[in-house]
Amino acid sequence: MSEQEHFEEEEFNTQFNGQTVVRIAKQGLAHWPLMFGYLVCIAALAVLESYFTYLSKLIIDDGILAGDREALWRIIAQYTALMVAQAGLVFGFITCAARLGERVQYDLRKKMFARLQELSLSYFNQTPVGWLMSRLTSDVGRVGELVSWGFLDTVWGILSIVTSLAFMLYINWQMGAIVALIIPALVVVAALFKRRILVEYRQVRKMNSKVTGAYNEGITGVRVIKSLRREEENLDEFGNLTGQMYKAAFRAAWLSALFLPTVQLISAVAVGSIIWYGGWQFQTGSMTIGGIQAFISYITFMLFPVQEMARVYAEMQQAIASGERIFSLIDAVPEIQDRPSAVEPETIRGDIVFEDVDFAYEDDKPVLEKFNLHIRQGETIALVGPTGAGKSTLVNLVCRFFEPRAGRILFNGTDYRDLTLHGIHSRIGMVLQTPHLFSGTIRENLRYGRLDATDAEIEAAAQMAGAHDFILELENGYESEVGEGGVLLSVGQKQLLSLARAVLSNPEIFVMDEATSSVDTLAEALIQQAMEKLMQGRTSFVIAHRLSTIKQADRILVIENGGVSEMGTHGELLRKRGHYYNLYTKQFRDEHSAELEASMHEALVTA
Amino acid sequence: MEATTDVRQNGTDPNRLGEREKMQENAERLTYDLQNILVESKAKALWRMLSGFRGIYAVATVAAGLAALGRTGVAYLLRYFIDDVLQVEASQWLIPWVALGFIGLALFQGFFTYLTGRLAAQSAEGVVRRLRNYIYDHLQRLTFTYHDRMQTGELISRATSDVDTIRRLYQDQLIGIGRITLLFLVNFVGLLFLDVRLALYSVIVIPFIVAASIFFFKKMEKTYEAYQNQEAKVSSRLQENLTGVRVVKAFARQEFEIDRFEAENYKKYERGKELANLHATFWPVTDVISGLQMLLAFYLGALATINGDISVGTYLAYAGLVINVIWPIRGLGRLVASISTGVVSLERLQQIIRQQREPLGQGTHQLRERLVGDVRFDDVSFRYATPASAADREKAIATQAEEEPNVPAQIAGIPSADREWVLQNISLHAKPGQVIGLLGATGSGKTSLVNLLPRFYDYTSGSIAIDGIELREIARDGLRAQIGIVQQEPFLFSTTIRGNITYGVGRDVSDEEVEAAARAAAVHDVILGFPNGYDTMVGERGVTLSGGQKQRVTIARTLLKNPSILILDDATSSVDTETDAAIRAALHRLMENRTTFIIAHRVQSVMEADQILVMDQGRIVQHGIHDELLAQEGIYRRVYDLQARIEEDLEREIAEVVEATDKRLAGDAGKTNGRNGAVTVR
Repeated sequence: MSEQEHFEEEEFNTQFNGQTVVRIAKQGLAHWPLMFGYLVCIAALAVLESYFTYLSKLIIDDGILAGDREALWRIIAQYTALMVAQAGLVFGFITCAARLGERVQYDLRKKMFARLQELSLSYFNQTPVGWLMSRLTSDVGRVGELVSWGFLDTVWGILSIVTSLAFMLYINWQMGAIVALIIPALVVVAALFKRRILVEYRQVRKMNSKVTGAYNEGITGVRVIKSLRREEENLDEFGNLTGQMYKAAFRAAWLSALFLPTVQLISAVAVGSIIWYGGWQFQTGSMTIGGIQAFISYITFMLFPVQEMARVYAEMQQAIASGERIFSLIDAVPEIQDRPSAVEPETIRGDIVFEDVDFAYEDDKPVLEKFNLHIRQGETIALVGPTGAGKSTLVNLVCRFFEPRAGRILFNGTDYRDLTLHGIHSRIGMVLQTPHLFSGTIRENLRYGRLDATDAEIEAAAQMAGAHDFILELENGYESEVGEGGVLLSVGQKQLLSLARAVLSNPEIFVMDEATSSVDTLAEALIQQAMEKLMQGRTSFVIAHRLSTIKQADRILVIENGGVSEMGTHGELLRKRGHYYNLYTKQFRDEHSAELEASMHEALVTA
Repeated sequence: MEATTDVRQNGTDPNRLGEREKMQENAERLTYDLQNILVESKAKALWRMLSGFRGIYAVATVAAGLAALGRTGVAYLLRYFIDDVLQVEASQWLIPWVALGFIGLALFQGFFTYLTGRLAAQSAEGVVRRLRNYIYDHLQRLTFTYHDRMQTGELISRATSDVDTIRRLYQDQLIGIGRITLLFLVNFVGLLFLDVRLALYSVIVIPFIVAASIFFFKKMEKTYEAYQNQEAKVSSRLQENLTGVRVVKAFARQEFEIDRFEAENYKKYERGKELANLHATFWPVTDVISGLQMLLAFYLGALATINGDISVGTYLAYAGLVINVIWPIRGLGRLVASISTGVVSLERLQQIIRQQREPLGQGTHQLRERLVGDVRFDDVSFRYATPASAADREKAIATQAEEEPNVPAQIAGIPSADREWVLQNISLHAKPGQVIGLLGATGSGKTSLVNLLPRFYDYTSGSIAIDGIELREIARDGLRAQIGIVQQEPFLFSTTIRGNITYGVGRDVSDEEVEAAARAAAVHDVILGFPNGYDTMVGERGVTLSGGQKQRVTIARTLLKNPSILILDDATSSVDTETDAAIRAALHRLMENRTTFIIAHRVQSVMEADQILVMDQGRIVQHGIHDELLAQEGIYRRVYDLQARIEEDLEREIAEVVEATDKRLAGDAGKTNGRNGAVTVR
């Protein structure tokens, strides 16, 4: 939350960018009937509304003052007919504009989502999920709003003012000219005022996220706070925050309360001038009572378009900044793309060779330099090392989520950059440390491995992965919902499912990131069996945490500080008594702590 | 108030003085208690919450009425202008004054409009500021059990978005209803004064518009909710895709994902269209109804003028007032509908406020002296308590388990007699300065036992005495000041390192003291390595500390606190091997001259303790020192043996593997005189 805010604050001050505005407008023009529809409706409406005031003048001058009932009736009848027409126009512009707004949002989300699917993993590593989320939600909302209501209000505002002015000039050109002089002042003051208010509200939002942060800390740390008896000071600190928030919010609120009176006062000056000058003109006979009334109405109702335009102007900057961020996402070029000459491989079985590979996530921090490794078809490679040391780097390179900065990686003798990404990815099976399931049923999740799999194939895969039994025990079997992110299942169950999913995809290379968190013993054994089956005959990479897995590997790579510090078989590495030795002994003790736990319970039973 | 003056007189350090002043600003917090908003009637609750701001809120409402009066005034001034000035030769000199009158009325109206907005904001912001402070304080004073079962996200959403809903209720909605109603009433009265019959003709459709508006916005709420739900679905689909991006890529399922997203995305577009359709129906329909009403009024008014019943000026005033009366009414429905949202939020906040606080200062014995640290448990048993009174229990049943203040969710509703004992018949005597080791499996009751000492939970039966004083009689705040806890998973606050070390010490601490504590906790050098030393921020906006570093910061914190009783909750288990020794040393310094309770999973951690308690299923099953316990048949020896066996196994296994490898390598060397792998790593 605070992070998103941070990003937004940073980019808020973007200068007015004509190109972006044009591009935003184009989003609307793609659905030009809707845009055309609302523009026609709103233009007609603006003219009509100005004409209504003129009709009111006629009621007074031609009806009442002339004492002509017939004329009065005619004017009222005309007014009524136009009123009904007006309702039709209102219906038209709301329908068109609201639909267009939704449609543009829909389009932009669709485009962005499609682009996100193409972007490389490096993009996702650098970009927080929350940031991307707000591109597809709040930013899209703002742009949609601008294309529909923003443009609409602007057109309406301008036309309202212009047609009102035209009618005023028609009624009395000298008085019309006086009003024309006041309008610019009105518009400028209103716009500047609104901007100021917007800035104040930004401050409020900032304070709000601080308050939220304080709540968060107060609640998650409540046990420590209690034991340290820090309640009083905490309340003082929090009181300070809410005090500041109060000040900011109050200031923003009274500034916005001042807005309307200020604009109203300016227009009251205009009304005053009209009364003065109009009263004098009345004597000379060049102004009627209806005319004076019409002028007052025109000036009074001019406040609405001015207000709306000021609002649009203030919000437009934000919308443009949103648009820029959206377009920057749509224009982002995937770092890893298929070469034009890339071919779809028939198979990627065979040896995997790292040839003088250089790699770095950031320019000045090399992770691999002139790295060479030859993996034979069918070998199992275990990657071990402390958390965050870079074990996934090698896996990321093999899967071509990242590409070497220099050197080559060969699949069966071919540089893998000459193959298509789809060809590689669809032949790699992957099981992640925190197994990711999508909300939906178990069957749907398994089918993710191969979309055209039959139900029988899905069940066979589940059976092979040892997941079948627990699935049947669930209330709805394969049709059970897993919940968002699989929250309704245990970690062990999720892991079994993701193994089954990998089994179904029948990969040629298998990549597994073992879970660090412990799962129950039964699930553990099942996972182990499923892994073994999957690794048979396939080149496999395992980011390993379990001793049994590590020991079974053909080769072990110890990764530390981003590089490979030791490599060899279990025995060779133990012999060295180096990093691997330390890791191994620690792991050995940890794994047996479960046994210790059990022994503490068991004893009571015997006692 | 007295307290703050006192502080100011004593405060000599200018920096401190600034801080105190700030605090004085917030001294107000002590003077209110929001327990009184816990009433059945929501209207009453809202009224009580407004206490202290009722005056200005009333002024805000009156100001809204006066602003409306200003608008009526404009119509009357217009009548005067047309009838008595413009058309009367002798009064022409008044024209400039009438012009100024219009400006004056705008000033009048503007001033009161502004006043309404300002005062409503002041009340609303003031009310929610108090509400925020109170909820925050309340949350940190609720019991452990409450926090055990409430989710952080849920509490935060109540404390932020529900509070904001309340703010809008006061700032926009309630005052908005008042404003529209007053605008209607004042202008209607203005109409009545012009001509009673015409006035009545001009409001015929008002009831229909009000009803239609309320009906529409109620319906609107539902459609809008559906729209928002769909938006939430789009978001969660997106979030799943983004967090699962590796899976999507690994299975090359981009097309499939696009199709799935498309389904939800399109549905949102459809929902948006439904929303648009509702608006596109409501506004034109009410436009026509209101418009026809207005035209009817114009027509009748104009006829009356032609007949000579009213003057031209009156007609103009009448036409103006009719517009003021008819058009704003349509917005009323939106405000009325939004009140139901506010009521839901209020209820959610009341649920928090209803929970009982831990009475920190309650107890017949206020600790003043430093404790010696003699701790005696005598036949103590403990299980989670039921609500304090019958009335409380009824409320608990009525409003589901959530309302029961002191019971975890899983056992709420079970009569207390059937609830499982967490601790049973615990007796022990810890002499001052002794180290008590507690060994046992997860859930054996070790943590529950030590949690009784700071009175995080109160024991059910038996007696606990510290320095001979019954624990139940000691006030919690004084007690907790003398008990230090180093937790298994250390928690640091997002402030500076210094702030974290002095956190909760409760007195002014010099820089030298802080550094001494950090040195003793073996973390001083680490801290100096940070960009801003002791002033480096911890967490998101600063450095990230490793588990071991965090642990040592909390040790330094506890050293400064200088408690006489210490609880170490398996403090070394989450730490990697390299730093293990440093932490051990720091812990030893910390334990000096304090009665210490160590919770442990391994024999090593408790071996040197003066007393070792082995716990299982809430009971003490073994009690003694290391040598005694080793000599007995039981859990302790089993664990000890098992640990020894594990070490043996480890050594043997390594020896075997190494030997086998040695042999193989020797053989390989003999055969190939080299290696065949493509890689070497040094």
